[in-house]
Amino acid sequence: MTRPAHPLAVFAALVAAVAVALAPEALGPFHIRVLQFFFFSAALATAWNLLGGYAGYWSFGHMAFIGIGAFAAAHYAMAFGGGGAGPASMIAPVAVGALSAGGVALVIAYPLLRLRGIYFAIAMLGVSQIAAELTNNVGALKGGIGVFLPSPTPAGMPPERFFYYLFAVLLGLCLLIAWAIRRTRFGYALLAIREDEDTAMMLGVATERWKIAAFVLSATLTGTAGAIYGYSLGYFTTYSVFRLDFSLNMIVFCLIGGIGTLWGPTIGAALLLFLTQVLLSRFLDVHLMITGALVVATVLLMPGGILRAVGELPRLRPKREGGT
Amino acid sequence: MDRRTLLKTGAAAGALLAAPRLARAEAKTITFGGSVPMTGKAAETGLNVLRGYETAVKFVNEEMGGVEIGGETYALELQLFDDASDPTRAATLIQRQVDEGIGFFLGSFGSAIVLPTCSITEAAGRIMVQAGGGSDLIFTQGRRRVFGVFPRASRQFVSSVNMFEALEPPVKTVSIIHTNDPFSQFQADGARQSCAAAGIEVLDFIALPAEVSDVSNVLSTIRANTPDVLICTTHDQTSILIARQMISSRTNVPMLYQTLGPQTEAYRKTLGGYADGVVTQTYWDEEAPFSGDWFGSAGDFAAYYRAHFDRELAYHMASGAVCIVSYLQAARNAGSLELDAVRDALAALDFRCFYGPVRFTEDGDGDAALMGPKLMQHQDGELKIVSPPESAAAEPIHPAPPWRERA
Amino acid sequence: MDLFLQTALNGLVLGGIFSLAAVGFSLIFGVIGIVNLTHGVFVVAGAYLALVLHDSFGIDPLIGVLPIGAVLFAVGYAYQRTIIHWAVSRASVEASLVVTFGMAMVFRNLLQLWFGPDVQAITPSYGFQSVAIGEIRIDVVRLAALGASMVILLALALMLARTHFGRAMRAVAQQPLAASLCGLDVRRIFGLTFGMSAALAGASGAIIGIVQPFSAATEVAWTLNAFVVVVLGGIGSPAGALIGGLLLGLINAFTAQYVGPALTQAMMFLVLVGMLLLRPQGILGAAYGETR
Repeated sequence: MTRPAHPLAVFAALVAAVAVALAPEALGPFHIRVLQFFFFSAALATAWNLLGGYAGYWSFGHMAFIGIGAFAAAHYAMAFGGGGAGPASMIAPVAVGALSAGGVALVIAYPLLRLRGIYFAIAMLGVSQIAAELTNNVGALKGGIGVFLPSPTPAGMPPERFFYYLFAVLLGLCLLIAWAIRRTRFGYALLAIREDEDTAMMLGVATERWKIAAFVLSATLTGTAGAIYGYSLGYFTTYSVFRLDFSLNMIVFCLIGGIGTLWGPTIGAALLLFLTQVLLSRFLDVHLMITGALVVATVLLMPGGILRAVGELPRLRPKREGGT
Repeated sequence: MDRRTLLKTGAAAGALLAAPRLARAEAKTITFGGSVPMTGKAAETGLNVLRGYETAVKFVNEEMGGVEIGGETYALELQLFDDASDPTRAATLIQRQVDEGIGFFLGSFGSAIVLPTCSITEAAGRIMVQAGGGSDLIFTQGRRRVFGVFPRASRQFVSSVNMFEALEPPVKTVSIIHTNDPFSQFQADGARQSCAAAGIEVLDFIALPAEVSDVSNVLSTIRANTPDVLICTTHDQTSILIARQMISSRTNVPMLYQTLGPQTEAYRKTLGGYADGVVTQTYWDEEAPFSGDWFGSAGDFAAYYRAHFDRELAYHMASGAVCIVSYLQAARNAGSLELDAVRDALAALDFRCFYGPVRFTEDGDGDAALMGPKLMQHQDGELKIVSPPESAAAEPIHPAPPWRERA
Repeated sequence: MDLFLQTALNGLVLGGIFSLAAVGFSLIFGVIGIVNLTHGVFVVAGAYLALVLHDSFGIDPLIGVLPIGAVLFAVGYAYQRTIIHWAVSRASVEASLVVTFGMAMVFRNLLQLWFGPDVQAITPSYGFQSVAIGEIRIDVVRLAALGASMVILLALALMLARTHFGRAMRAVAQQPLAASLCGLDVRRIFGLTFGMSAALAGASGAIIGIVQPFSAATEVAWTLNAFVVVVLGGIGSPAGALIGGLLLGLINAFTAQYVGPALTQAMMFLVLVGMLLLRPQGILGAAYGETR
């Protein structure tokens, strides 16, 4: 069932990796920051895609995992220190952040994944709001007053470069995982779940197990991204990391780029971020409107996203609730 | 619209945006960089601070014909952008300005945004003078080029406690209501610590969610356990809501002290006569007896502001303007615009102007005794400063009459 | 005991307002079958319109409810006949979620551009009075808001039960195909339902405007509120919205009093998730039976 990777694809990936590694030499800090944010967003979208695109469970509340990852990392670092200085000090807190996000996902996976479609989407939205509210209003979590993460940048390197590389590596990791999943039974199980879960269950696919796995994996990757994002901010409060617009951007990037594809989330992120961060950076007060309009336009004109509209992949038939 | 039109409009828009900046005019300019929240959660106050910056620049350029430093005359230029109350966006675009070589930065509003951005300017060796972040963290991490015109949050309540102790009868108990956001919470914590240090008992310390709709339950608690002073560190509309519900639920306290809210016109308009007796704080008031170079007196500043801007005058405008004035005064004292020289001059600054005395501590925040808040009280339809005594225009009315008698 | 009763009364009054704010959402969900995430924006738009009427013309919001409802009816109708219709026919149900959310962003931005980001509130002339029943007090404003909400809900219930249009709506909700075979113009009814929902949302917004502060950013909370009410009480009927709303109001008030005012939102979402897991169709169930 697994196909060997196309040599051209591997070559292209290598070229891209080299380009990413060398780019900071040629670019100013502003552009490095924009790219840093792009890698972060694309990684988030790719992680979301594992659950939303591959399995067909659209979560409207992934910001919960970003926030949980960031706050868990911060609390761990504030309580136990990072151990060492510079990048080494990040390892334990980020790991704690990732595992906390994954852990929470594991706990809520069983009840929540019994819901389908809209109910699941809104339930996740509810979960993310609960997480944000609790973080903000329970004193011990310090969401209201803010938490602090010491800078892990190695001496001599500008911080934006350090995070540029870090997020680039994270994106690479997410893409690798996403690519690998598609070629395994895991990926096929998710595809089956997306297309017709009940039939898959009847045919003996262990849907429960695979769904939970996808959910936890998606959450863990998101939590990792969140923890690193917290480090890049240095000091953050609840609403710096529990951001509804992050939840939505993840979905929008996948929608625009091609939901359920490997590169779709990255392409969607690139396009939209280019639009908002570079072209429209001076028109911030219409950002929301432009993003909203783009979302609507995409759904109306290209329901599957760019990659599917371009025709490289089979047309995705819109999923009908319950099958007709 | 069809595709062709779309493409044409898009291309035109793209060209406009990519157009190279016009060559700078021959006159020398001092450029101030930075971000301000013009949209998003912090926009209400962000816009106030922005107007303050604009007022100072306009005054210096138009009324004074530019500023003279080290023998040369300079015009002022603001290069501020909207950070949408988003720290990441602020950081990214501040970074761009640092790349472009801007040396003098103005602060955004809100500690959550000021903290990451001041780290960037500090690391690049630039200076920031801000009127938007009071969090202790800004000033206690060893930065040498970040200055704030407010004292740090934990010291902001000292002047209020001084007034409490001087009242007749003296204040013995307080209750504090705050919302869970960095500004309100820091202020409330500072209030709690200062009160405790002065031996005043804090009966209730109540947290409200960020978006408040109904405080009747909270007020039931207050009625059951009434303090001498009810302190609210909530934002404008929440303060109005609390006052309104206090009136209709007949919750009377000897003093209602709301740090944000009573200064606005909306407060007086909404509550009418009920506003009498309410105490608030301000960092600046147009009737304060302050004067000096640059704008003249506090009243002159207010007059100039009102003549040129629409947005209702609040103390943030003055705080914003004084950031720029501080830069210019320091540059004048140093006789140059070199970053190091200006930085040292800022640290040594000690002068009076329309804002009152200006002096920074060695950590960069405003001197708590000189630049801390003054307390005002609504009396007979006007806000009068009642504390500290040197700045006071009237005696505080304490205890305030019950709501029914104020209508 | 008094505190308990006072809290209960606060909760019921608040709940009545929640019911009105949610009933439009419930109708759309029941009749058309989509979740309208733009709902909250209509509520806030109603509040802003009431603000304009009150500040510029001195019209009390409770009277302004009628013109505001009319304006939003037109907006809602146009919105459904164009964008919503296209979205639903071309893409999946989740996509309609995304489209309505995208439009919510667009409308919210427009509101922010027009009215500014500042938080607003409307204080009517009776804003400081209260009524006492024994030891228990209630604001006149809240009482008036509750009264107005109940009147409108009752009118809606009567319309659904007694008028031709109400019957047509229920028919379309139960069996769209059969309804169209019987000669009903299903698309027009969808449009009218949506328009009505928007009108109800706007009316509730005007009422909410006198009770508590609002800004364009609060629209998300109202959409989620509506969802919780529907999940609690049941889809598609004013009775469901009433029960869900009252229940939510009580939960809100008791959490604020006995747990802490800062945790009311967290509790609301907890209830939402809990109900979704236990009984997603709500206490009264879907008013129109198994339709899709």
